[in-house]
Amino acid sequence: MATTAALPFSCSTTLQTLTRNLYPRHPLLIPRRRLHHLRSLAAVPTRPRLRRPVSASAAPNGSSSTSEYDYDLFTIGAGSGGVRASRFASTLFGARAAVCEMPFATISADDLGGVGGTCVLRGCVPKKLLVYASKFSHEFEESNGFGWTYETEPKHDWSTLIANKNTELQRLVGIYKNILNNAGVDLIEGRGKVVDPHTVSVDGKLYTAKNILIAVGGRPSMPDIPGIEHVIDSDAALDLPSKPEKIAIVGGGYIALEFAGIFNGLKSEVHVFIRQPKVLRGFDEEVRDFIAEQMSLRGITFHTEESPQAITKSNDGLLSLKTNKETVGGFSHIMFATGRKPNTKNLGLEEVGVKMDNKGAIVVDEYSRTSVDSIWAVGDVTDRINLTPVALMEGGAFAKTAFGDEPTKPDHSAVPAAVFSQPPIGQVGLTEEQAIEEYGDVDVYISNFRPLRATLSGLPDRVLMKLIVCATTNKVVGVHMCGDDAPEIIQGIAIAVKAGLTKQDFDATVGVHPTSAEEFVTMRSPTRKVRREAAAEVESKDEVVSKQ
Amino acid sequence: MARKMLKDGEVAVADEGSYDYDLFVIGAGSGGVRGSRTSAGFGAKVAICELPFHPISSEWLGGHGGTCVIRGCVPKKILVYGASFRGEFEDSKQFGWEISGDINYNWKKLLENKTQEIVRLNGVYKRILGNSGVTMIEGAGSIVDAHTVEVTQPDGSKQRHTTKHILIATGSRATRVNIPGKELAITSDEALSLEELPKRAVILGGGYIAVEFASIWRGLGAEVDLFYRKELPLRGFDDEMRTIVASNLEGRGIRLHPGTNLTELSKTADGIKVVTDKGDELIADVVLFATGRAPNSNRLNLEAVGVEVDQVGSIKVDEYSRTSVPNIWAVGDVTNRINLTPVALMEATCFSKTVFGGQPIKPDYKDVPCAVFCIPPLSVVGLSEQEALAEAKNDILVYTSSFNPMKNSISKRQEKSVMKLVVDAETDKVLGAAMSGPDAAEIMQGIAVALKAGATKATFDSTVGIHPSAAEEFVTMRTLTRRVSPASKPKTNL
Repeated sequence: MATTAALPFSCSTTLQTLTRNLYPRHPLLIPRRRLHHLRSLAAVPTRPRLRRPVSASAAPNGSSSTSEYDYDLFTIGAGSGGVRASRFASTLFGARAAVCEMPFATISADDLGGVGGTCVLRGCVPKKLLVYASKFSHEFEESNGFGWTYETEPKHDWSTLIANKNTELQRLVGIYKNILNNAGVDLIEGRGKVVDPHTVSVDGKLYTAKNILIAVGGRPSMPDIPGIEHVIDSDAALDLPSKPEKIAIVGGGYIALEFAGIFNGLKSEVHVFIRQPKVLRGFDEEVRDFIAEQMSLRGITFHTEESPQAITKSNDGLLSLKTNKETVGGFSHIMFATGRKPNTKNLGLEEVGVKMDNKGAIVVDEYSRTSVDSIWAVGDVTDRINLTPVALMEGGAFAKTAFGDEPTKPDHSAVPAAVFSQPPIGQVGLTEEQAIEEYGDVDVYISNFRPLRATLSGLPDRVLMKLIVCATTNKVVGVHMCGDDAPEIIQGIAIAVKAGLTKQDFDATVGVHPTSAEEFVTMRSPTRKVRREAAAEVESKDEVVSKQ
Repeated sequence: MARKMLKDGEVAVADEGSYDYDLFVIGAGSGGVRGSRTSAGFGAKVAICELPFHPISSEWLGGHGGTCVIRGCVPKKILVYGASFRGEFEDSKQFGWEISGDINYNWKKLLENKTQEIVRLNGVYKRILGNSGVTMIEGAGSIVDAHTVEVTQPDGSKQRHTTKHILIATGSRATRVNIPGKELAITSDEALSLEELPKRAVILGGGYIAVEFASIWRGLGAEVDLFYRKELPLRGFDDEMRTIVASNLEGRGIRLHPGTNLTELSKTADGIKVVTDKGDELIADVVLFATGRAPNSNRLNLEAVGVEVDQVGSIKVDEYSRTSVPNIWAVGDVTNRINLTPVALMEATCFSKTVFGGQPIKPDYKDVPCAVFCIPPLSVVGLSEQEALAEAKNDILVYTSSFNPMKNSISKRQEKSVMKLVVDAETDKVLGAAMSGPDAAEIMQGIAVALKAGATKATFDSTVGIHPSAAEEFVTMRTLTRRVSPASKPKTNL
């Protein structure tokens, strides 16, 4: 690696990795300015890092011998993508960075948000904490089969949970603020708005920047139907003052299923209303069937092919949901998990010419650059793959591109994902349907089994695991699992899929015994071989089962 | 079937018909069942002998399924599940759960359900063999000559069977240390089937069996004292991970006694009196020796036919699992290579392919993952930092992540999860991965696939995380913890 050797410093190991990460083996792609840049980067460790606070008033003159702008980067939104991008820009590339974020609130609004963003405050983290809380009731049930008994049935105290959850969220907000502070990023509280391609206004104060990054995320959206004002969204559902006795959840996506599991585990009566015949559109068909069945077995009622039409509140305060098929009443709460939309309203985007699609998502190129050269966007506001780790990847790639002189495209292929339903789902790569569409000839390996834990607990829990292999290359192109620990199990598998490994690589791996995960390396014969061509020939061989 | 055999050549040569069987397998545990089933799949005529079923093994008792199903992996994991609930109850409080009144534990019920599951699996194994066309013979097998096996049935009657090949897959069993009063101690066999749950348990040994039982009994409410000779338990594992496991065991209430041996056991009215080499005494309801296992090679009459064994009694085999007698083969724990169920399965499959499938193939011992089901568990694949340094030509990059699992942020359990990647600085290959923490065993399986295929750290880094999970730490370790040069070595004083 000649580029590394050419670097004039080799002091700390941290810097060695740093350079290793920054300059991988693409010497041919190094732009001309690179050499100059390397020299300036090399100087970084010898001078104090950019810890000087740059206040709005001080900025215009401060340090600006090198720059006509207050900042090299001004980021609007301190969620996953915004924090990652400004931190990397500052610490790795010496950019002068600021980020603005609205005041903290558990429920978001036009002028309320909080450092940490959706993931930390209204998404992944609080959701997972509630999943943990709700999962205990299943564990109590399981424990009976293992010999545990209780004098009284375990009871749940809602307020303890919500209070402890909120304490944890406050702690995390503090951590995020520290991260920014330690990275030398200025944090400005308030609502940011783009004024021109190089100026952001935060509640009236103007800041100029060479680059502007929009990372304002998304928020729940609901259809405009009568009575919608009685409905809660996922923000509110994560912070309810008391336990719902009976709740309707409208929507069949991952948010709907996760909350169904949470409330069911915490002993609410749960009804899920979905427009489609099946939950989780876009997921593998078999997984969709399997999760619905497992959730039903745990006590959740599904109302399929029902569209919400109106909500009414009766005198006793209870809510009714009217759909195209029926009216179901007696709900203490009705939650809509009917999609999320990008937070692009009132950001001044139209005025500066940043293009958006018909759903309001900012249109970006492969490097996350918008239609205005100096304005970039990452995360949910761009509506690519709306996941925290993807926003992190996009934020990191942006920082490299804009400040590291190393144009980097985030790679959206083989991104693993999880649904923290109960049981949970983990997946990476293509669904069977997508694989057939793309490769035609596909071998499908399926294992649907009762895990060891369930044989003792006596509960009807099962596990579904599925490997989808391209028949011509033998590459594993998709892996799906629904069952305990699926998200944890799929992470390692995702490395294998990302690396383009073959079924033989899986087979050559020795199992970890006894686990559920070992099934993925012990699937010896395909459950079905799907062949696009020569259907007649396929049928003549009886071990080959063509789909349908 | 017959057609396939004729194609096979090796099997179908001159002596076809002159033997009762193509393959006679002694021992229907993991390796034996796999070996007979896959050999039958290649068209071989196969018989297998196994001792009558009993949860506690002896010279005359065993059962289809072997150690794994009857006295190892499966019942152990069931008890670990049972024991894990205690931690769940503790954790649930801060999540808002209240269990007023007593939480009771009915050991008999767990035992009953466990036995029921094992009997079921025992039946499953028999059915698998039956469906594969393998002849099952009950009794103790021993070798008369290179082509004859004698099976002594429970009633004492003996039968002789001739066979072209013999596969020895008799496994191993727990051993006891030779100290006064050793007969008062039990081994893992009995520990899995105790009539009463001990209130005070003493465990001797620092291996995986010792720490697993320590976790099981502690989880089920016993006072547990764990004695071992080294400074840390789990010799052979990564030193840093051993330290974590030790501190987690302590954190869960197990009393550790490193560098301590037991010298004498005696019976008292109050229980078993245990004396240590440091002169301490304590009283226990149960004393478990988890001090190692020995291959079951004694009663096979191996000397008579010239099958060589090493000084601990394990059968010597070549890379294809062939013993010093060309038509006698051995797989699994009796060969004392890597004593794990999936390894025995691999060895047996390779044996079948080599002997009956016409495709000689060696089992591959590189990057075999394994798990220790203590609470929380430890799982590893590939090299430990110490092994990597011993083998390395290049510098080693060590990435570690020690974090508070998200669940603990509410439960307030003081227990860190630790993950570790050991990387070759020159090739960027990930040489080893380790984790101590909840779900470690499940997480490690996928990591093992990547490692086995030679994945680099760059591949790990390019994989997007699953958020929020513990496993995502493995793909987000950006900062080097230390760089170690093989020349310098020192590092730890563990």
